[in-house]
Amino acid sequence: MQSRAHLWFIGPAMALMFIVLLIPILIAVGLSLTDYSLGNQGAEFVGLENYERIFTRSTYEKMFVATFRYVFVVVPLTVGLGLGAALLIHSLGRFGDLYKTIYFLPVMAALIAMAIVWEFAFHPTIGIINSTLEKGCGTFLEAWPWYAKGCERTFPLWLNDRDYAIWTVSFIGVWQGFGFNMVLYLAGLTSIPPQLYDAAEMDGATRGWDRFRLVTWPLLGPTTVFVVTISFIRSFQVFDMVEAFYPQGGGPSKSVFVMMFAIYEKGIQQNLMGIGAAITVVFLAFVMVLTVIQRWLVERRTHYV
Amino acid sequence: MSEARAQSFRFNTGAATTHAILIVGALIVLLPFYTMISLSLKAPHEIMQQTGGFIGAQEAFRDDYCVKLGNAAENCMVNPIIYNYSTAFEKAPLVRYLLNGLIVTVSIFVIQVLVALPCAYALAKLRFWGREAVFALVLFCLLIPVHAIALPLYIMLAKAGLTNTYAALIIPWTISVFGIFLMRQFFMTVPDDLIDAARMDGMTEFAIIWRVMLPTAIPALMAFGIFSVVAHWNDYFWPRIVITGNRDLFTPPLGLREFKGDADGDNFGPMMATACIIVTPLIVCFLLAQRRFIEGITLSGMK
Repeated sequence: MQSRAHLWFIGPAMALMFIVLLIPILIAVGLSLTDYSLGNQGAEFVGLENYERIFTRSTYEKMFVATFRYVFVVVPLTVGLGLGAALLIHSLGRFGDLYKTIYFLPVMAALIAMAIVWEFAFHPTIGIINSTLEKGCGTFLEAWPWYAKGCERTFPLWLNDRDYAIWTVSFIGVWQGFGFNMVLYLAGLTSIPPQLYDAAEMDGATRGWDRFRLVTWPLLGPTTVFVVTISFIRSFQVFDMVEAFYPQGGGPSKSVFVMMFAIYEKGIQQNLMGIGAAITVVFLAFVMVLTVIQRWLVERRTHYV
Repeated sequence: MSEARAQSFRFNTGAATTHAILIVGALIVLLPFYTMISLSLKAPHEIMQQTGGFIGAQEAFRDDYCVKLGNAAENCMVNPIIYNYSTAFEKAPLVRYLLNGLIVTVSIFVIQVLVALPCAYALAKLRFWGREAVFALVLFCLLIPVHAIALPLYIMLAKAGLTNTYAALIIPWTISVFGIFLMRQFFMTVPDDLIDAARMDGMTEFAIIWRVMLPTAIPALMAFGIFSVVAHWNDYFWPRIVITGNRDLFTPPLGLREFKGDADGDNFGPMMATACIIVTPLIVCFLLAQRRFIEGITLSGMK
């Protein structure tokens, strides 16, 4: 009887894996070679034209610039702040629990809701950010040229300012994401055996920095590899904020035209499935390569950690 | 002795610096929550002029929309909190949205478990031809972020005539390879004797899954449930794609987004009230069962 039972058990899962995950990838690869659009009869095979467009047109150059700016701000900062917060909280013992709770709140809250609140906070005239900055005018802060300029004319428009938009969006991404990494690092820190610190101290590592460099950091290696990868994957997928702030067009001068939004705009809004599918394939390639690198690093490290 | 005092002093300054840094961080983290709650309590003119502190003066103000409907001005005086929260529920069918959110998240979790548990059991405890291949497939599928393949999934659902249905919101999430992987790892630790004993008692393999394995897996399932519910309650991208016009199917994030779409200055209060209502359920659950939540959300990082 057992010999048949497994078919019933793995059958539904296998079927869904093919229908929901694997076949769509094949469809995306197939469509990326055509100019298909939903509702139109037939589609022309266009070869690699869509890919050529992605790697030559300035719109898509902006897409890559926006995506990589976001990713390369958010990943280091969420990892760094996550580690920093975890180290500080860990050093406080159980007094740190309240901070842990607070820092984790943004991870729980629907990003779309918090994005709308941040948009209000960054509002140039009625937002709390600029009105707080204005209160600092006339004080020593004016010694800072950027600040003096803001007082003289106006402070930046933040989300609607071509030079600030992507960084403001990145800031919100960091705000939302570092608590997640902090919790992963805290789990990593509690699993370090305290005897190792005693041993390091006997070997002369008395300064805090030495103990961090010689014990904490190497032992957090596997955690770091995981945290970095998951931060990359999460930040590549940024979408909610961008759509909420800029329903059309991806921000001032397309400076916030990130990849997930590009897929949405091309595929869903403009029904250009071919180009949308091509961006999907490029996106999948990024994410999968990153994950494979992570797995390889973890497997390599486990030999000596 | 002075050295000991110096030591304890240094320790205290160290701890004080740590607290100072963490408090500044906490203020920045809490700022939008503060803004959100504060604005949901205040009257429109207080919001625009940035007066009234945290809760505003709580004086009744004239609801212009009510006057426009032809009511006498004195009958249209409303308290800001009541105005904001009642408008949130009246302007859009917010109760319906919340109910949709509940239906979708619960259905997704239940189906994920129904699909993943038997598969995980087979992979962990049954010996059959091709088991390694199936597990390799699971490991490969772990690489695929479902959001990334939204476009082909959308086309498939559109071809099947399923856009703007609950099915469209649920189907792409019915398979959780992560759930399979997690449960398989968990089931590996369940002793074989337990299963053999159940077989001796004449239980079918099917009964073993639901009456022997499931009860042992409750803690892991709870963590996975929290992971799944939080992700799908807060998900905005997927509903945005498959629910295009039908407001009856809006999930809470879509409802809030719609509110933003037509919010003029007067509607900041009600919009923030909606945001509060959407964010509150998970935050309250989190505060009540912090440890379980943190375990659940960071599940993917546990090895």
